[in-house]
Formats: sequence, structure tokens, C-alpha cells
Amino acid sequence: MAVPINTGRGTYLLATAAPARREAGWLLLTLMMERSDGIERVAFCCRISNELLSADSDIEALLGRLAPWIERDFEMTRENALKSIRSERRMMEITFDTVNRGPF
Amino acid sequence: MSLQLIRPDLDLDFVGKRHFFVILSTAINIAAILLLIFKGLNYGVDFAGGSVVQVEFPTATSADSIRHALAPLDLGEITVQDFGASGHSYLLRFEKVKNIASLGPTLEAELAKAFGPNGAKVVRVESVGAKVGSDLRRKGLLAVVVATLLMGTFIAIQFRHVSWSFGTGAVIALIHDVLVVTGALVIAQFQFDLTTLAALLTVIGYSVHDTIIVSDRIREDSAKRRREPIDRIMNRAINETLSRTILTSGTAIMVLIALLAFGGPILRPSAFTLLVGFITGTYSSVYIAGPVVLFWEGHTRVGSVSSRAA
Repeated sequence: MAVPINTGRGTYLLATAAPARREAGWLLLTLMMERSDGIERVAFCCRISNELLSADSDIEALLGRLAPWIERDFEMTRENALKSIRSERRMMEITFDTVNRGPF
Repeated sequence: MSLQLIRPDLDLDFVGKRHFFVILSTAINIAAILLLIFKGLNYGVDFAGGSVVQVEFPTATSADSIRHALAPLDLGEITVQDFGASGHSYLLRFEKVKNIASLGPTLEAELAKAFGPNGAKVVRVESVGAKVGSDLRRKGLLAVVVATLLMGTFIAIQFRHVSWSFGTGAVIALIHDVLVVTGALVIAQFQFDLTTLAALLTVIGYSVHDTIIVSDRIREDSAKRRREPIDRIMNRAINETLSRTILTSGTAIMVLIALLAFGGPILRPSAFTLLVGFITGTYSSVYIAGPVVLFWEGHTRVGSVSSRAA
């Protein structure tokens, strides 16, 4: 499943890049934003605290909530995600918890 | 406590050895031009066009097995480079992909056949079309030429009361620096992308800095010692500014060595460009800019330049 994001660089698709992983107290999502024509892709991770997740929080619903939030800060998210992979050789990680709730 | 590295009365004969260094620099520059023509720069995706794909593997994989896995796609020449995670992360560069769209899913599907469903993850795809690449290359060259000419003009105007030749000397020194750096990049085969171009423009800025320091001291000394020949004044000016040159260049070079060693693969080409550029920029301020002024003025003239400086 992919959720479209409308950005100044054209339409991007937000989708999972790897199966979701459960860790103690957290759900770890590996996501990717891919331009609809396929010429650019960048992956990043979202760490979501269990406290923010409800019983019906399936991956599809989570993507639906994350998409507008990422769309609003798309440039910064894209730039930081690319920088992290290029320079630090690891995926950027955005943490959502009770302090930084993001779209939850 | 003084930070003077060099004795104030030091009198090294820089100007006297100029013929040797001019011949050496000319030979290096000719070699750099030949390297640029016959071997060429290793243009990054920004300038050459094509796609860069970063793939991560949960288990260590070899470059050969990746090439082998992607062979059925017939995507043209692929450069596979280990991205510093000992077999877990690779940078794939495709130079002439016929259809760059959907490259990520296509590669993932093909890699899944060889390494299993979750055996490879495409975490970055960046593509630049061939036309955009060639436009960027043209604009990059234009930026270097314009920066060099503007700086030469600026110096020529600033030092016009001493001699118009200072501008010419600065421009020739800058061309020398650009050639040496690009020649070194050809030999090292580091990728030349927009970051490296920015480093090259920084080198031009730094090199002219050093040339101005030496030239300014020549201007001061010319006014003070009107009867001395210009080569003597020039040599004294270089000796007087030597301590400052070593301190400023030395500290900058130490930082760049650290950046080159620990900056990682992405920063390495620009750190290398800056390092070679700063070294050659310091050298050219002494051995290239000065001799051009001497050649222009004629080293037998006594006091003619200094009288204009007054």
C-alpha cells in the first residue's frame, strides 16, 4: 500500500520499505518516499511509542496518519533523510512518543 | 609570547629559484591538461547524468554478486562501490540507463531473485537526466572561469598603482591551481560532483587570499624602498609573510587532513580537492604570481615600480 504525497517536487508515494518491527515499547516502521516517476527514492525510519498506538493501528492506518504530517514538512524530511543516508550511512529515525506526538 | 615561526631576519631566495619552479609548474600544468583530455574527470551523477542507488544488505555481500544479480537487466555499465559498511551497504552508479523511471522497484525485484525477498533494500535513488547533467557541467565551468576573471580584475584594479601585472599574476596563479587540482582529481579518480565544484571554487577564493597577502606586502615595501629592484622587494615580501603563510595554511591543512581521514566517503572528494588546492594555492602565491609580475615588469628595472607605488 502506498499513500500519495503532493509536494513542490511532484507527487511522491509513501510506502513501507521493510516489514514493521516490534521492539519493547515501540513499533519500528521503515518507510520510503518515492517520486511517482521513480527517479528518486529515500528511505527513513519511524519509531512510534506503543502509548500512541491504538488497537486498530494497522500499517495502512499509520501510513494514512503519517502522510499529511510528512507532506507538510516534506523538504526538511527529504533533505535530512538523504543527508543521513549519504553522510552518516544510516537511515534517519523520527521518534514519536508522548513528548513528540507528531501526527498521533 | 610571539607566534613567530620564522626568524624575522630570514632571507630565503625564493625569487632566484623562480625559473626552476616556473618550469616545474608548466610541466605539471601540461600533464594536468593531457590528463583532462585523455583520461578525464570522473564526473558524478550531477554532471554525467544517470542514477545513483544505495542498497543495503542484511548479510554481507560482494560487489561481484551484485553485478551478477543485475546482469539480466542489461542496464549498461554499473559501478558498484562498497559504501564503508563492509559488504552491507553498496552504492550502484548507472551511467546510461535507458529508462531511469521505476529503477528502485526494478532493482529490488531483481535483487530479490538473487538474495531472497528481504535480502536487499533500496534506500536511496537519485537520478539526473543527461541534458541536465551537461547543462550543470557547462554552468560549473562558467562559474570557475567567471570567478577567476573577476578576482583577477579585482586584484588588477586594487594594485594598479604598483603594477597592472598583479592581476595577471593572480589569474595565472589561479589557472595553475585549478589545473593542478583537477589533474590530481583525474589521477585519484575521485568523483567530481557539485560538492567538489564548490570545493574548487573555495580553492580559488583561498588561493587569491594568499596572493593578496604577498602582493600587499610588496606594495608596502615598494613604497618604503623605492630604490630597490622589484625582485629584491618581492623576495623580502615573501620572507616577511612566510610565517603568516605557514601558520594560516598549516592550520587549514591540518583540518583538511582530519576531514580527509575521518570525513567518510561522501566528504572525501571535496576534502581532497581543498587539501590539494590549499597546498598548491600557497605555492602558487610565492612561485607563480610573483614571477609573472617580474616577467611583466622586467627584473632589471630599478625603482620604476616602487616610484609608482608612492
